[in-house]
Amino acid sequence: MPNTKAPAGPFDMRHVRELADILNESGLTEIELDRDGLRIRVAKSPPASVATWAPPPAAGAGPIQAQPAAAQTIEPSGETVTSPMVGTVYLQPQPGAEPFVKVGDMVAEGQTLLLLEAMKTMNPIAAPRAGRIIEFLVADTQPVEYGEPLVVIG
Amino acid sequence: MFEKVLIANRGEIALRIHRACKEMGISTVAVHSQADTTAMHVRLADESVCIGPAAAAKSYLNIPAIIAACEITGAQAVHPGYGFLAENARFAEILAAHGYVFIGPRPEHIRIMGDKIAAKRTVTAAGIRVVPGSEGALSNEEDAFEAAAAIGYPVLIKAAAGGGGRGMKVAASPDDLAEAFATARGEAKASFGDDAVYMERYLSRPRHVELQIIADAFGAVCHLGERDCSLQRRHQKVMEEAPSPAIDVAARDAIGEVAVEAVRAIGYLGLGTIEFLYEAGEFFFIEMNTRLQVEHPVTEAITGIDLVREQIRIAAGLPLSFTQAEIEFEGHAIECRINAENPRTFAPSPGLVTDFHAPGGLGVRLDSALYAGYAFPPYYDSLAGKLIVHGRDRTECIARLKRCLGEMVVAGIETTIPLFQDLLEEPDILEGRYDIHWLERWIKAQS
Repeated sequence: MPNTKAPAGPFDMRHVRELADILNESGLTEIELDRDGLRIRVAKSPPASVATWAPPPAAGAGPIQAQPAAAQTIEPSGETVTSPMVGTVYLQPQPGAEPFVKVGDMVAEGQTLLLLEAMKTMNPIAAPRAGRIIEFLVADTQPVEYGEPLVVIG
Repeated sequence: MFEKVLIANRGEIALRIHRACKEMGISTVAVHSQADTTAMHVRLADESVCIGPAAAAKSYLNIPAIIAACEITGAQAVHPGYGFLAENARFAEILAAHGYVFIGPRPEHIRIMGDKIAAKRTVTAAGIRVVPGSEGALSNEEDAFEAAAAIGYPVLIKAAAGGGGRGMKVAASPDDLAEAFATARGEAKASFGDDAVYMERYLSRPRHVELQIIADAFGAVCHLGERDCSLQRRHQKVMEEAPSPAIDVAARDAIGEVAVEAVRAIGYLGLGTIEFLYEAGEFFFIEMNTRLQVEHPVTEAITGIDLVREQIRIAAGLPLSFTQAEIEFEGHAIECRINAENPRTFAPSPGLVTDFHAPGGLGVRLDSALYAGYAFPPYYDSLAGKLIVHGRDRTECIARLKRCLGEMVVAGIETTIPLFQDLLEEPDILEGRYDIHWLERWIKAQS
């Protein structure tokens, strides 16, 4: 979703920390908490590698500066399909029709998961591999940015 | 007026456009690549959309992604800034086809001025002089004398197939012409296997002087005076000032009138810059830039006119907010383009900005997207900020500029601030005596 600057709601990082502690103690791989529209998910799968760059070593003396730490994404288990373009999501072929896929469905590689409308063109987004639909991270008619997570396939 | 404008650019110019929009009550949409998630234009805009990966070809030059960003945010108009898609006629046409306003000139004028030959033909027909030259190759000495008399001495004889300075000879007067012609032909034959030569006026120490023009949809055309951008390195402007130390009121009025008439004749709409080589009182057309220029703030400093605001007004179908008679040139302004580069080798210096302090005070403007903690990315151009200083006269302006350069702090990356501090110790710079070759000669002498 395009990043609109609304006043941030109360969000306490301690919730995340507590959940992470429970995750470690319990031996679970994933915990999700949904309260008053605030949803926190913590999972143990390794964070996605974030593309980063390092400056060339300075020509002169001096230590190489530390780069800002790569953003630690909390990744749900399974493979996240990200948006290859800016556009608007449609979960079904036309209004009122059945959605392409639902949570829990088994999909084949190449199967259409949803449509992305950009420049009045509908672009089918296909499953990168076979698996089960674990979660939709976007809603129907939601605008998405490049790289935004769409669907998790387990 | 537009309610929402999408800014299809990054860095300091995206901030510059954002500022004009906010003052006009327009909300802004920043677009950005994945490498620019933490960039200042993204942080300040009302909304932001990630349109692609770091490579500009897949983000800032990605027309479908920018159109899609307009669609999902409901922006009505797009300001392209400079560079990227600013002079892409097809982009302007695609936007129009999708019902979005391109804040810039009409596509046909972008196209004409983007083609060097068509541009020269068009402005010549509209009354602007180009560097005079022979029509095609000169076949014998007699033709050469005839052409030189028409062009005016000194003349440069050039190999038609040439390049790299070979087959080029200067004749200062008719006395030198026969020998220069024969030598140039001989060198041309030896170097390129072709003795065809042509002739043009030789400019030995030209200045780069450009005129800011603006036209609305109601037929009003104004010029906002000149900028002197002679200090260049590898054809990149380094420092610009207005007014030019070489131009007086009479010369400004004369070229201004020619330019305004030409712009009217062409039917141009919006903001544009006509670039000239200036030598010994004569102006010769180089090219016309159909966009906002990097160095536009020096014109804003001496006229008090917000050029981006005028661009947006014109795109929204409003008239210019001033007339030629109301434009007054006050004082003197200089801009330094501070790049994230080593000040001696000009090697790029991306990296983490660990500390940042902007100079301030009366007559000081810093257009920059830097902040402490910003990771200056290696993917785009090296412009780190533009320091624009205004004074009541050139002397005051230079004193203020020196003070500001000493006050500014950018730590963690290298910048060209020391280059400007050195330049402002040079008598030629202090007295305004420089041409388009001055900086290259000076850099060579330093190393």
